[in-house]
This record gives sequence, structure tokens and C-alpha cells, in this order.
Amino acid sequence: MGYKCPSCGKIWPDTMDLARHIFGTGDQAHKDWVNSKGFNFIELLLIQTMEPGNKGYKTLAELLEREAEKVD
Amino acid sequence: MKKYTVINTPVPNIDGIAKITGRAEYAFDIKLPNMLHGKILRSLYPHAKILNIDTKKAEGLTGVKAVVTGKDTLGVKQGIWRRFKELCDEEILARNKVRYIGEPVAAVAAVDEDTAEEALDLIEVEYEPLPGVFEPLEAIKEGAPQLHEHAERNINVTRHIEWGDVDEGFKGADHIREDWFRCSSQHHVCLETHNAVASFTPDGKLTVWTSTQSHYYIQVLLSWVLGLRENDVRVISRYTGGGFGSKFELDSAQFCSSLLSMKLFRPVKIVLTREEEFMATKRRTPMFYYLRSGVKKDGSFVAKEARVFTEGGAYTSMGATALYLTGFFQSFPYVWPSYRYDGYRVYTNTAPSSAMRGFGAPQATFTAETQIDLIANDLGIDPIAIRRKNAMYPGYEVPGQAKIQSCGLSQCLDKIEEWIKSRGKLAPNRGIGIAAYGFMSGGIFNWFDTPYAFSSASIKINIDGKVDLYVGSQDMGQGSNTTMAMICAEELGVRVEDIRIHMGDTDNCPVDLGAWGSRETLMQGNAVKMAAAEAKRQIIEFAAAKLSPNIVYDLDIKDRWVHLIGRPERGLSYFDVVKEAIRGKDGQPIIARGHYTPHRKGMISPAYSFGVQAVEADVDPDTGKITLKNCVTAHDCGQVINPLGVEGQLEGAMAMAAGYGFTEDLPMDEGKILNPNLVDYKVLRATEMPETKVMAVETYEPEGPFGAKEAGEGLTNPTAGALGNAVFHATGLSIKNLPITPEKVLEALREKNNKKRRARRA
Repeated sequence: MGYKCPSCGKIWPDTMDLARHIFGTGDQAHKDWVNSKGFNFIELLLIQTMEPGNKGYKTLAELLEREAEKVD
Repeated sequence: MKKYTVINTPVPNIDGIAKITGRAEYAFDIKLPNMLHGKILRSLYPHAKILNIDTKKAEGLTGVKAVVTGKDTLGVKQGIWRRFKELCDEEILARNKVRYIGEPVAAVAAVDEDTAEEALDLIEVEYEPLPGVFEPLEAIKEGAPQLHEHAERNINVTRHIEWGDVDEGFKGADHIREDWFRCSSQHHVCLETHNAVASFTPDGKLTVWTSTQSHYYIQVLLSWVLGLRENDVRVISRYTGGGFGSKFELDSAQFCSSLLSMKLFRPVKIVLTREEEFMATKRRTPMFYYLRSGVKKDGSFVAKEARVFTEGGAYTSMGATALYLTGFFQSFPYVWPSYRYDGYRVYTNTAPSSAMRGFGAPQATFTAETQIDLIANDLGIDPIAIRRKNAMYPGYEVPGQAKIQSCGLSQCLDKIEEWIKSRGKLAPNRGIGIAAYGFMSGGIFNWFDTPYAFSSASIKINIDGKVDLYVGSQDMGQGSNTTMAMICAEELGVRVEDIRIHMGDTDNCPVDLGAWGSRETLMQGNAVKMAAAEAKRQIIEFAAAKLSPNIVYDLDIKDRWVHLIGRPERGLSYFDVVKEAIRGKDGQPIIARGHYTPHRKGMISPAYSFGVQAVEADVDPDTGKITLKNCVTAHDCGQVINPLGVEGQLEGAMAMAAGYGFTEDLPMDEGKILNPNLVDYKVLRATEMPETKVMAVETYEPEGPFGAKEAGEGLTNPTAGALGNAVFHATGLSIKNLPITPEKVLEALREKNNKKRRARRA
């Protein structure tokens, strides 16, 4: 099973990898999707470095767990 | 019979005579009929809107032939990360806005340099100054001036690397250490400044003679920004006076001379002054580094977390690659069961930071190796022992990133330990510091989006046995031509003097991505070896017909002798066989091709070099002055191709790296570099060089030609860390802010003494 990127459609094995893909790509389309879900893309990125425990990525991964399409 | 006849013999650079007799023709030396001279007007503001540029007065000056501004361009935002549109953010001639002091805004072509210079004063640029931001940690704040519309909070690129369970790892650690570091900038200081002679002719062809590390990249980038067909642009770069990472992006001399030539149909030459070189070309990326490392009591590494903010300057350049590599090499050359890296590149109103020898790894190695010595000190463990305990080894896989095939790190540690012991008891205020390192042998990334093989070579063997070797690689002083000639000679079974090498011309040479990331020996070397093997196969086919052995692969060629492998006395002269082969092919020379592109080799590189360096230094407690006494390096570069070349490269890298460690810096005031000259910018001079010793540790790298891998760039990585650790062992002070200047040492000594006094009083 995998998770489909809601912005570009790439498939990733888990939501953490998908979160890494979204932050790593970081183009307007991916930013817009995160922002449309009530989060601020840049704030999430900055939380990742300002607070301990992988918080930015975990928050996005939790969102993706709910929102991203699961594929076989 | 010896295994090799050419490999591992000391061969002086094959272009050495041309260079020392002054016959080597650099782009700087090119003079063409009707040639004009160009100069570039640059922004005096770190951040401003361009409201208007009035060029009338300059155009009216006698001797001025043309003036160009951003309005004369196609307005293409270009960059070397062509696969990612948002990272192509630099126009070269700004149209609407300037983002750093030194950014080009106009260029003039005139009959001589003085007239062009005078004309620059007559160009009137109306600016609307904007507030600037100069530090990355300021630039990410809410409300900070924004450089580019697309980059909210000025965040240009982010990179994340992670493996293992970092948070669990820290829970299991006996000792956790946190440190902040600041890594400074550094300039490449190439002897030959950026320059170009461009000649556009009425048939629509553009020829550019220039100083570059990649004639292919410049061909593609010029064709893109000028709207020309790729192969209507010819780039020639026969000799390059140093590059160190500064010369594989499109620069203002190349672009402006081309634009002016296209306007005038006359050749235009632009040579950057040393001041322009400092102010307006690229530089090493300054970094703010946070490291948190968890270890067991016995020194075993368990978890590491690294966070980096880099001062990107105004444009992306190669900074996105440096951001990834610094994160990757932060874990090197050790086994970390869990690791997490977050790197942010931030736009600032400063000259763009980009690639420079080591490509982010010197910053990683300085910070990592400084912290490892502090951890060893905290735990009372010997610095060599803690490194040996956690060292990478052959066959180790960096999770999700890389597979280490050859690795001589343990042998390097043994050699350095032996040397340290030989030094005996050190004098007061003297210390020996060590740093271990690793580096890549060419990058596998294709952000440039080339459709070609990463490296290619072709060979033509003539009737007299002379071998024309065409390579796409660029010799910029590092000796790659000599290395390629040696690889070709060894594989083909001839001598180095039988090889005539052709490079640095897009019309005549096959494509190679260029001389960066220590890629030439492995990547171009593999292409050359493949071409030579194919040429040899053709020669042996003819020899086999003559000698009538049982099967073809019983034959080989060594030192111009085509012979049966089992009976080397039975054979034919290479020259005779070549003559007959060419006659037998209806007069066609022997032609062969080779190529190399890494496939399925991880995320970074097909192979990695390793090493350990020890620096012995004196610290004057009254002045803080550091004097380098010895610098000894054990380096694993696989099979050595040219021992002379390795020694020269390693010593050169050490000089550059020591400068990074304690003398070189680019201080700024509101985006203006304060020392843009070779008086105030302190490059290490010959008299300041310590005794150096290089000990080659030979391993066999399966991916490299004859087992070879990187030698030269990787050694830029350890010196700042080893020097800092020498200061630590001499004084007990750990300086975490590069460069380690006498002022910083003295201030830290004063602080240490004050603390002692306060403790005594208490």
C-alpha cells in the first residue's frame, strides 16, 4: 500500500515519506495544498527546526494520513 | 611482469611545459581582429528597484560602440538547477530589481578598457532603495524584506535527511551534547579572474573563449538565455587558471560579452577585475549549524540531529546542492544508527553563495569533528579511539543514501596515530588536532537535466600509432589531462607520450558535465578506459589474425608490445599492428568511443574517498596567534593513478582549507564586502605553509578506473576541524566560529582566565 501525493500524484510508501516529498519539493503547487488545509507551509517548515522531535514533519504526516489517497 | 606500466608512476603534468614557458593560451590571452573591450556596471545597492537606466551620455562618448541593459535581454531567469523552475532565479543583467551589491545592471563595449570604464560613469541608473536583510536568521523572520516574490520568508530551498529512530536513539544515550557553530564564507581566489571573449558572426554562430570548469554547461546556458540553438554556440576553454567551484555557472563576463557581440557583430572581451571577482562572483556558503549528538559511555554513537541555516545570498546558484551535501557529509565518515538533518537555504541581500571546493562538506566536517573531540573530552576517551570505534567500513550502507564499497578509514587512523606517537611530548601551548573525513567521487545528481551520458570520450589512432584522445573533461590546473592520458595509455598498452589530448572545445570534444565534485578521475576516467579498451580490442583483432593464437583474448598490449599473455616474448610491435590494421580497414583510422553514467549508485556518488588529517599548531597565549607547524594526512583515494598529481592536489587543498580555518573571511557591512582585494583578504602564503606530509592509503574501488577514486577536493574538508582541535588541545578552548582568528582565541583566553579568577574569588 502507498500514499498518493495530493498535489502531484507521486506514490510514497508512508505518510512520513510523503511529507518529506512535499517539503522537499516545496514548489507553489505543494505549498498551496498544505495552506489550503488550514496550515501554513512555511510555519510548519520553521517549526521543524525551531522545536525538537521532528514536529513539522509529524504534523504534516498526520494531516496526510487523513487526507492523502491510499493506493494499493 | 608488473601489474601496471603507467598507473602509479610519477608523471609530471603533460601541459606543464606549455604553462611554464607562457605558451599556454588562456581565454585571458585571446586577441581577435576588430576586438572591443567590455566593462560591466554593477549595483551599489544591496536591494533596490530599478526605475530607469539612461545610457544616452555613455553611448555618446567617443570610442563607445554599444551599451546594453536588461531591456536588451530576453529576460530569461536562468540557473544550473534546470529541472526546477523556481530555482532558476537569476537574470544576470537585472531588469527590475537588484538584490546584492555588485549585481550587473548594464554593460559597455568600447575600443579600449579605459573608454569602457569611463562610459560606466556616464550611465545614469535611477534606483528606489529597498530595505535589505543580510543574515539568514533575520531573513526568515515575519516581516523581513522579501527578496523574491516566490519565496515567502526568504526560504529558498529546504533539505531533509533522516534514518533510524532519532528520538528513541537519544532516549538510549548516556551523554548528549548540543553545540552551535558559525561557518564563515571564503572566496575561490582563482589566479585567472572570470573572463570571456565572445564573437558573434552574421551566420548566427557564437564562439566564446572563456575560463570555465564546464564548457558544456556554458554552451547550454548561453544558448538558453540568448535564444540560440545549442550547437550554434561554441565554447572554447583550452586552459583554465583555477576554478574551485566558481566557474561552472554562467557568469557576467560570458553573458555580457556575448550580448554585446550579438549587437555589434564584433568580438568583445570582458575581464573581471580582482575587486569585481570578490564582490560579484560566487563564494563559499556561510552556515549556522546546530548539532545535537547522543553517545554511549564507551563512545559509541547512537543518535545525531543537525539543523542548518545557510546564508544563500541573492540567488540559488549551486547552493541547493551544497545544502544537501552538508547534511549528508555531517554524518561522515561514521556509522550513526539514527540521524536527522534539516537544512534551510535562505535568500539574503548578499553576493550569492554557491559551490566551493568541498561543496558544503568542509562546514560539515568542521562542526562534526569539533564536536566529536568535545564529546571525547567529556567522556575521557582518546580522540583516535572514539573515531575508530564508529568508523565506516567497506560494505557499510548509509541508510537510503549510499553504499560504501572501498573504505580505508581504519588504516588512515592507524597511520595518523603512529605519526602522533612519533611526535612525543609536545611543548607548552602546542597541540595536535585530528579530523576524519570522506568525500564523493563525482555526483550522480542530474539537476542540470542533461540528456547526454555524464562523461564521454573518443579515441582516434593514427597511422604512426599516435593516439588522439578527445575528452569532455576540463583541466583547470588539477591535472585531469595527465590522469586521462595515463588511464588511456595503461588500458591501450602504450606510453603517455603516445597520447595527444584534446579538450575544452564544444565543437570537437564529447560532452562531459565538467570538473566539479571530484568527478573527473572516476567518471571521465571510466569513459576513457572504455574507449581505450574498445580501441585495443580492434588492434588485437588484427594482431590475432597475424599471430594465430588459439583464441582472441589470449592477447594483450603492454608498453607498445602486442603479445600472447602466456608467452609475452611472442608478439608484434604496436606500431606495426596499427599500420596493418589501418591498411586493412581501407585506410580508416582506428576509432573508439567510451561513456559513463552512474546507475543505481545511491543518492550521492558512486564512490567515496576517506582520510584522516593531523594538524600540529602553536598558540601564542599573549597574542592569540596560531602558527601551523605540521600537517599530516593519510588519504584513501583507491588506486593512485599519478602519485605526483595526488601529492600536488592534497597539498593545494590543505593550503586552501587552512586559509578557511584561520585566515580567510569575507566580512560585510550591510551587504558590502569589506576586503575585496588580496591585501586585506588573507590567503595563506608560501611562508605560512607548515611542513606537510601525505600518506596514501591504497584500496581498490570497484567502481573506479583501475580502482581509483577522488583525491584533492576531499582534503579541503578536515583542516579547519583539525586546526580547531589543535587549538583545543593546546589551550583548552574550543572556538566554534570560523575563522579561528587570533582575536577570537585571545578573547576566549581572557574569558577563560576571568572565569578562573571568579571561581577563585568565590
